[in-house]
Amino acid sequence: MATITMRQAIIDALSEEMDRDETVILCGEDIGPFGGVFGATQGLYDKFGPTRVMDTPITEKTIIGASLGLAITGFRPVPELQFADFVGVAFDELYNKLGKWKYMHGGAMRVPVTVRMPIGIAGGSGPEHSQSPQALFIGAPGLYIAVPSSAADAKGMLKTAIRDDNPVLFFEHKVLYEMRGEVPDGDHLVPVGKADIKRAGSDVTIIATAYSVHTAIAAAARLETQGISAEVVDPRWLAPLDEETILASVAKTGRVMIVHEESKTGGTGAEIAAIIAERALFDLRAPIRRLGSPDVPIAQSLYLEQFYRPTEQMIVDTAIELMSYS
Amino acid sequence: MAQIFQKNIDIDAYGEDLLLGLHRMMWRIRKFDQNLIRLMQEGKVSGFYHSGIGSEGLSAGAMVGLRADDYLFYNHRGCNQMIAKGIPLSRLYGDFLGTLEGTTGGLGAGIVHSSDMSLGVVGQAGTIGSQFSIGVGTGLSAKWRKTDQVTAIFFGEGAASEEALHGSLNWAALHRLPIVYFCENNEYAISSHWTETHAVREHIADWADGYGIPNCVVDGNDPLLMMEVANEAIARARSGGGPTFIEARTFRHRGHYEGDPVNYIDKDVLRDWIDNRDPIKNFESVLLQSGRASDATLKRIAQEVDDEVAAAIAKAEAAPLPDKDRIFQGLYS
Repeated sequence: MATITMRQAIIDALSEEMDRDETVILCGEDIGPFGGVFGATQGLYDKFGPTRVMDTPITEKTIIGASLGLAITGFRPVPELQFADFVGVAFDELYNKLGKWKYMHGGAMRVPVTVRMPIGIAGGSGPEHSQSPQALFIGAPGLYIAVPSSAADAKGMLKTAIRDDNPVLFFEHKVLYEMRGEVPDGDHLVPVGKADIKRAGSDVTIIATAYSVHTAIAAAARLETQGISAEVVDPRWLAPLDEETILASVAKTGRVMIVHEESKTGGTGAEIAAIIAERALFDLRAPIRRLGSPDVPIAQSLYLEQFYRPTEQMIVDTAIELMSYS
Repeated sequence: MAQIFQKNIDIDAYGEDLLLGLHRMMWRIRKFDQNLIRLMQEGKVSGFYHSGIGSEGLSAGAMVGLRADDYLFYNHRGCNQMIAKGIPLSRLYGDFLGTLEGTTGGLGAGIVHSSDMSLGVVGQAGTIGSQFSIGVGTGLSAKWRKTDQVTAIFFGEGAASEEALHGSLNWAALHRLPIVYFCENNEYAISSHWTETHAVREHIADWADGYGIPNCVVDGNDPLLMMEVANEAIARARSGGGPTFIEARTFRHRGHYEGDPVNYIDKDVLRDWIDNRDPIKNFESVLLQSGRASDATLKRIAQEVDDEVAAAIAKAEAAPLPDKDRIFQGLYS
C-alpha cells in the first residue's frame, strides 16, 4: 500500500490502462510534454508518444466530438477538458451526443469515453474556472458520473471508467490533486455505482462528494467529541447512484444532510434529497438538510471565494440542529 | 480562392454499368423520397422530413468511389446519401415508420439517427453541424489504425456556418486527416439565403483555403462531374494526402420541411432549377443523346425502381412495431 497524491494516482491509473490496452488514448489541451495544467498527465507523453497522448487545439467541442468518433470506431479515448467549466463549450457533444449516440442509433454501438475534468474552488480561479457542474448531467441518460474524493478512489474509479464500455464524466477536485492517501497495490478497481462509507456512525448521516468528503470527516471528528456519532457516506458515482447504501444509512440514523460544493439550488443534493424523501420519509426523524455553495457566481477574489464552500463549522452546526429533533 | 471544378466529360469513357448504375441510383433516391412524402400525406409518417429531391446527382456521384468500410456522416437531406451508401430502402422506410425493419430496431429515425456500422453509416445528430467534430474522430481513428478508410462528411451550406466547421477544418488540416468535406450548397437554410448569412470572398469553399485544404466548387447536379471531383478527393484522402473541401452547388425542389410555404424562394428561380437543371432529367438526356442508353432501357429501370420501392414499403409496413419496452433497451452497454 503506497501513499501517493491523487494526481499521482490518476497518472498511475492512466499509465496502467494504457499499458493494458493499446486502444486507450489521451487527448486534450496541453496534456502532452507539458503534462496538463494540473499535471495529471505528467510523464505519459514521454512513455506513450504523441499519438496516444495527443495535444489538441483549443476546441472543446471537437475534443469531445472526436472522442465519440474514435470510440465508435474502436478506440477507448480519455479526453481531458482543462476545467470542468468548459463543459459549456462542449455541451452539445456531452449532453446530446456522448450518452445518447448509442441509444438513438439503435443500440448496437459502444461509446467507451472517459472525460476527465477538474472541478472546484481553488486559488482564485473565478466564476468560470471554479464550478462543479456535475448536476447538469444527472438528467442526461446514458452518462455515468464519477466524483472521487481520495487517491485510492480516483485510481480505482478511473481504471474502472476506462474499461467500461459506457461514457463516463470523471470529475476531479483541484484541491485533491495534492492530497495524499493510501492506494492499494495491484490492479485496484472500484465498481461502477458503488458508494463508500468513509466513516461509520449512528446519529446522523452526512452524504458528501469530492473535497466536501474531507470537510465532513473533519466535522464528524469534532462531533464525536460532542457525543454525536456521524456517518459519512461518499456516493462516489452520482450516476448510477448507489441509493441502497444511502437509504440504509438514513434508515440507521434517521437524520441526513447532503454536503457539496455545487450550488445548493439544483445541485445533485436536490436529487438525493428527493430520493430520500420518496423512499425513506418515514425513516426520518428530522428534516433533510442540504449544504451547498450559495446561488451566486463564484467571485474571483481569493478572499471572497472562501465563503462559498460549505465549512466544517456549518456541518457541525447542522448536525447539532438535526439532533435537536428527537 | 476556390476554383470551379471543370473536366471534359467523355461519356464514352465510362462503362455501361457505371452510367446505368448512376441513373438507377438517382431514381432510387427520388422514388424513395416521393413515396415517403406520399406516406406522410397518408398520415403514416410525420412531416418532420427534409426532402432531397433535386439533389440526387450530388450524392449518387459522390458515393461511387466510397467503400462500405468508409465512414459516412450524412446531412439533413441525408436519405440521398444513405441510399447511395447502400442502406436498403426498406430499412430506411422502417425507421420512418418505426417498425422493426428500421436500422434502429423500431426506435425510429427521421433522416437523422439511421445508421448501419457495417456500411460505415455511423449516424447523424439532430443538432446541426455536430458531424464536423465527430468526423475528426473517425478520421483520426482510420489514420491511427493505419487503414485507408475515408471519412465523408456531408453538410448543407447552412451547417457550414456552425463554428464547429472551423475547429474541424483546423484539426483535419493539422493532422492531414483522410476526410472529404461535401458542402451541399442548395442556397437556402430554411428561409435564409447563404449570401445573407455567410461572409465569404466568393464561395464557401474559400474558407478551406485559409487552412491550406484543397478545395473547389462543382456543379452538384452533374453526377459524372460530381463523381470525378469526389474521386480525386477520395484518392487524396486514401493515399495520405489529407482533407479536401468540395462545395457542390444544387437546389432543393421542395420546402425545408413538408408543409413549408416556400414563400422565400422566387418562383421563377425554382422553376428554372426544376425545368432546366434537374439532375435526373438532364442525365437521361445525356444518356439518350449519346446513345449510351435507349428509351426502353430507361423505362425498364424506372419500372424496376418502382417495384423495388413498392416492395420496400410493403416489407417495412409489414414488420411489427416494437414492444413498448423498446424504449428501455440499448442505452447502456
